[in-house]
Amino acid sequence: MTRLLLPLALLLLLLAGCGEKEEPSAAGARDTESFTVMLDYFPNADHAGIYAAQASGEYERAGLDVEIQAPPDAAVPLKLLQAGRVDLAISYEPELLLARDQGADLIAVGALVQKPLTSLMSLGDRAIERPEQLAGKRVGTSGLAYQSAYLRTILEQAGVDPSTVKETNVGFKLTQAMLSKQVDATLGAFWNYEGVDLERRDRDPEILRMEDLGVPTYNELVFVARRGDLDEVGASRLRRFLQATARGHEALERRPAAGVDALLEADGGLDRGLQEAVVDATLPVFFPEDDERPFGYQDPAEWAAYEDWMRENGLIKRPAGRAPLTNEFLPGEGLDPGTSGLG
Amino acid sequence: MTAALIVLVLLAGWEALVRLGGIDDLLLPAPTQVLDALWTDRDLLAPDLAVTTWEVLLGLAAAIAAGGAVAIAMHVSSEARRALRPLVIGSQAVPVPVIAPLVVLVLGFGLAPKILLVALVCFFPVAINLYDGLRDTDPDARKLLRSLDASRWQTLRMLELPGALPSAFTGIKIAAAVAVIGAVFAEWSGSDSGLGHALLIANGQLATARAFAATFLLFLLAVCLYGAFALLERRVAGWTPRSTPGGP
Repeated sequence: MTRLLLPLALLLLLLAGCGEKEEPSAAGARDTESFTVMLDYFPNADHAGIYAAQASGEYERAGLDVEIQAPPDAAVPLKLLQAGRVDLAISYEPELLLARDQGADLIAVGALVQKPLTSLMSLGDRAIERPEQLAGKRVGTSGLAYQSAYLRTILEQAGVDPSTVKETNVGFKLTQAMLSKQVDATLGAFWNYEGVDLERRDRDPEILRMEDLGVPTYNELVFVARRGDLDEVGASRLRRFLQATARGHEALERRPAAGVDALLEADGGLDRGLQEAVVDATLPVFFPEDDERPFGYQDPAEWAAYEDWMRENGLIKRPAGRAPLTNEFLPGEGLDPGTSGLG
Repeated sequence: MTAALIVLVLLAGWEALVRLGGIDDLLLPAPTQVLDALWTDRDLLAPDLAVTTWEVLLGLAAAIAAGGAVAIAMHVSSEARRALRPLVIGSQAVPVPVIAPLVVLVLGFGLAPKILLVALVCFFPVAINLYDGLRDTDPDARKLLRSLDASRWQTLRMLELPGALPSAFTGIKIAAAVAVIGAVFAEWSGSDSGLGHALLIANGQLATARAFAATFLLFLLAVCLYGAFALLERRVAGWTPRSTPGGP
């Protein structure tokens, strides 16, 4: 019996040991406070500024020991944030509004990407250059309700009868669905990522951006926090994080390679050429159009228009409650009290 | 020999299909392109292979320990049998893609959820085969031991367990072949290394050849594990009489 029990006991010990390993080690944190950020997706060029800030020691100088974590899938970051497993999550403006509609007390505290990245994409000789050409075509989406709503809005604006357009859920295999000609176009692929990737592979993607097709503009990627975490201590940490992140993005603008180096350090499986090209394409939308505004600025009027659009399309049901965004933790925003949305 | 020939013909056909433009190589790379990715990305894939192998080995060990314990408990106690049988069968009915994200949410992104999911996939074949093996003991031998006044424990140790070895190995070999599935789903639900992770990253940037190379390594891992246990079986349970299929 002992011969059988001993390996079993050892194994249990081993399993217990594996569990323990995940606890954040206290050894590294002396004066710095730990701060966990969950990305919206696996590390990629959209996060180059954050990795640049991390690599150049901006977070450390801000007294933060930042841990950057990739999520299992894009639906999870807000759930983990709500469960208190992370301090800050990167998500999408529509996802945040949906979560709030479900009762989550979450708030956007800064925009990582100012514009929609979601786009209507088609390939080569089957290119769709104008939304009117969608009539009678098959469009692949990732099966998200707001993507279907984008498509409806686009078709309405273009005067196309929606019943002539077939929408197919192809999951996250949007590019593959186009390459295999299973669909005529896709709605959901990012112009700065899949678009750039296909461009670099000479597949001649035709890209139409949401805000040019009648969908109200929005911040594709936002930093989201729990409102309950924003007490004095939490607010101080968040402010320092966003300041350091802004500096990381300025460093990225000066020298994109710095961000890409840090990114490849985090995941060696990424392709350097692609990531550099994506950073180049994305740089203009990392910063607000209006130079007067700080990094991360969210336009309350744009948010309101987008929220109205979601409500009109039946995506959210609850009447507008407390503001879904605040700019008060952004660098230098103390000087501009008019933009505060927290309250 | 014929098997190798069939594989070669299939590979040649595949190569021709892609080379002659039948299929976009971003969707399906040619075998030579996969081979090329295997070589050029070796520094990238080797650590991932090591990670996944480790996950699979630990999970398999956990499944063998737990499956063995449950099978023996079910064999010696009818109460345990009644209590555990639905659970054992239920463990096989759990769709891994559904449960993997939940397990990861609870256990985090470390090694623990990978081990648990591999063990979950492997548990059923291990437990059920050992249990059947224990039950199938030669009744005459059992009668003999009883007439010699052997205790229940002695019967188990001297007769039933050794007799169940071939059947147990069948279960373990099946488990070894499917273990990688558990590891891949676990890695897809949250990880920063391993072949499943490599697959995800490669797919995300249309590095299809590398994705196929990672898949090939998973296949190889399963085959090697199976082979290792088959070898071990021959050493440990080589004495068992076995009829050769197709023989006289």
